[in-house]
Amino acid sequence: MDWPPPSRRMSTTRREQNLALLGALASGAVIAVALVLLLLSRANPENSARLRGTAIDVVAPVWSVVRIPFDLIGTGFGYVGDYIGAASRNRDLEKLTAQQARALQTQAAITHENQQLRSLLKVVTPDRRVVASARIAGASSGAVIRSAVVSAGSANGVAVGQPVRVAAGLVGRTVEVGASATRVLLLTDANSRIPVTIVRTGQSALVVGASRALVEVRERVGAEVPLVAGDRLVTSGDGGVFPPGIPVAVVVDGSQEPPLARPFVNPAGLGMVLIESAYLPVPATVPVETSTVAVPREAGGGRTKPSIITSTPRATASALPPPPAPVIAPPVAAAAKPAAPALKYVPRAMNVPLAAPVLSPTDTPAAPPQ
Amino acid sequence: MNRTAPYRLMSREERIDWWTGQWRRTLPGLMTLGLIVLMTAPVFAPLPLMPQLGLLGVFIWATFQPAMMPPWLAFLLGLVSDLLFGLPLGVNATLLPLTAMFVRGFEARFGHHVYGFDWVMLAAVALVYQLLGWQAARFAGNATGFAPLLVQWLITVAAYPAVVTLCAALQRRFIGPRT
Repeated sequence: MDWPPPSRRMSTTRREQNLALLGALASGAVIAVALVLLLLSRANPENSARLRGTAIDVVAPVWSVVRIPFDLIGTGFGYVGDYIGAASRNRDLEKLTAQQARALQTQAAITHENQQLRSLLKVVTPDRRVVASARIAGASSGAVIRSAVVSAGSANGVAVGQPVRVAAGLVGRTVEVGASATRVLLLTDANSRIPVTIVRTGQSALVVGASRALVEVRERVGAEVPLVAGDRLVTSGDGGVFPPGIPVAVVVDGSQEPPLARPFVNPAGLGMVLIESAYLPVPATVPVETSTVAVPREAGGGRTKPSIITSTPRATASALPPPPAPVIAPPVAAAAKPAAPALKYVPRAMNVPLAAPVLSPTDTPAAPPQ
Repeated sequence: MNRTAPYRLMSREERIDWWTGQWRRTLPGLMTLGLIVLMTAPVFAPLPLMPQLGLLGVFIWATFQPAMMPPWLAFLLGLVSDLLFGLPLGVNATLLPLTAMFVRGFEARFGHHVYGFDWVMLAAVALVYQLLGWQAARFAGNATGFAPLLVQWLITVAAYPAVVTLCAALQRRFIGPRT
C-alpha cells in the first residue's frame, strides 16, 4: 500500500484519477528530460565535466578514509607473507643480483654512448615531471566503464590527458578532473587506446582495452610477424600523452587475432600512483608571422593574407582563415591536375607536425605535368 | 508516523512525533544513494563483480514503498550514479525511472507476489536494464562487449536476496510492516 495510506475521508474517484494523470505526466516529463540528457551527452560529452569533477570530489574522501583499515590489514598480511619462504627467495634474488651486476656494467657503457650520440645529434628530449602522487580512492569497475578515482585534482596541478603510472608500469590516463579528485581511465577500459612498441620486433601497435583482465593488441604494423607469448609492450610516445618506454603489457596469447596481453599493473594491489605531465601535449594553434612564411607576393601572399601553421586536423578546421578572395586564376591552372606542391615552410623544431601548407590557387603550377 | 488526525487536531506531542517521523520518507532514497556510493568502492576485479546495486535499490523500494520511490527520485539517483561512475549522462538517468515506472505499473495491475516471483521479475528487469544500458552507452560513445554485462547481470541477480533482506529489515525497523 502507498505511504502515507490514502485518506478514506477525502478520497473520491475523480481526485484519484486526477492524481494518477498528474503522476503520469510528471513521469513522462522525467523520462523526456533524461532522454534529452542522453542526446546531449552524445553530442557533447564534455558538457558535464564540471559536475563530474564535483561528484568525484565528494566521493573520493569517503573512500580515502574507509580504505585505511583495509590497507592496514593488507600491509599486515604482507609483512607476515614476507617471512614465509624468505630463505629460498633470498637465494633466488642473490643469483639474480649476480646476473644483473654483469648486465649493469654493459648498460653503463651503452648509456654513456647513447648520451654522446644524443648530444651530437642535438636530440631534444622533453622533460618529464611528476605532477602528483595520489592514493586510489574509488573505482568504477562496472561492465561498461573501467576507471579509478585518485585523490589529487586540479588543485595539485592535475589536468585532463596526463599519464598515470607506477614503478611497474602504466595504469592509465586522467579523463575527468575535480578540485581534489581525478578519474583515471584504466588500460582495460574499452575506450582506452595506448600507442605501444613491441620490444622484440620494434613494431608499433595499439593496446586496446576490452572490459576484462586482458587487453588486445590491435593496429599492428607488420601483422604478418607473429607475436609470441612473453613479448613485452612498452609505450612508444606516439600521440604525445604517454612518455616512451613505460611498460604496458606482456603478450600471453599471440596465436589468435587480435593477440591478447596482460597489463603489467593490476590496479587491485595499488595504493599510490604517480601522475606525470603529458609528454608532448598537443600545442595550441601557433600563429606564424606571415613574413616567415615564404609565399610569393604576386601569389597573393605577403602581409595581406594571414597564414597559420596548425598542428591537428581539428585545429586546422577551426583555425583556418576564411578562404582568400579569389585571385584571378588562369583557366589552364583550374583545369590542370595539381601536382604535389612544394612545401613552403620548413619547421625548425623537431616534433612539430606540419599541416598542409596554406596554398592560394595560383600556387599550383600553371603547366600540367605530362 | 502515520497521520491519523488533521494536523490542527493533533496534540503537541503528536505534532512533534509527526514532524520527527518525516525523515523516514527519505529512507528509500538515502539507502539507494548509499548503495550507489558503495558501487564506487575501490575494488578492482578482472570481472565486473560489482552488482547493479542502484538498480536493486530502486526495484526493491518500488515494490516495498512505491510512493517513496517515485520516478523523479529514481531519475535523480540515476543522474548521481552516471556522474559517479563516469558513464555518459543520461544512461542510468533514463533507465532507473523507467524501472520505477515499470514496477509501479506492474504491481498496480498484478498485485503483490511471492518472493520467488519477485526474484524472477528482477532477473528479467535487470537483463532488460543491462541490454538497454549497453545500447545507451554505445549510443553515447562508450562501445563495449556484452559478455561483461552478462556477468554483471548474473551477479546482480545473485545479490538480490542480500539487498532485499537489508531493505526489508530497514522497512520493518523504521517504516513499519507492510499493511
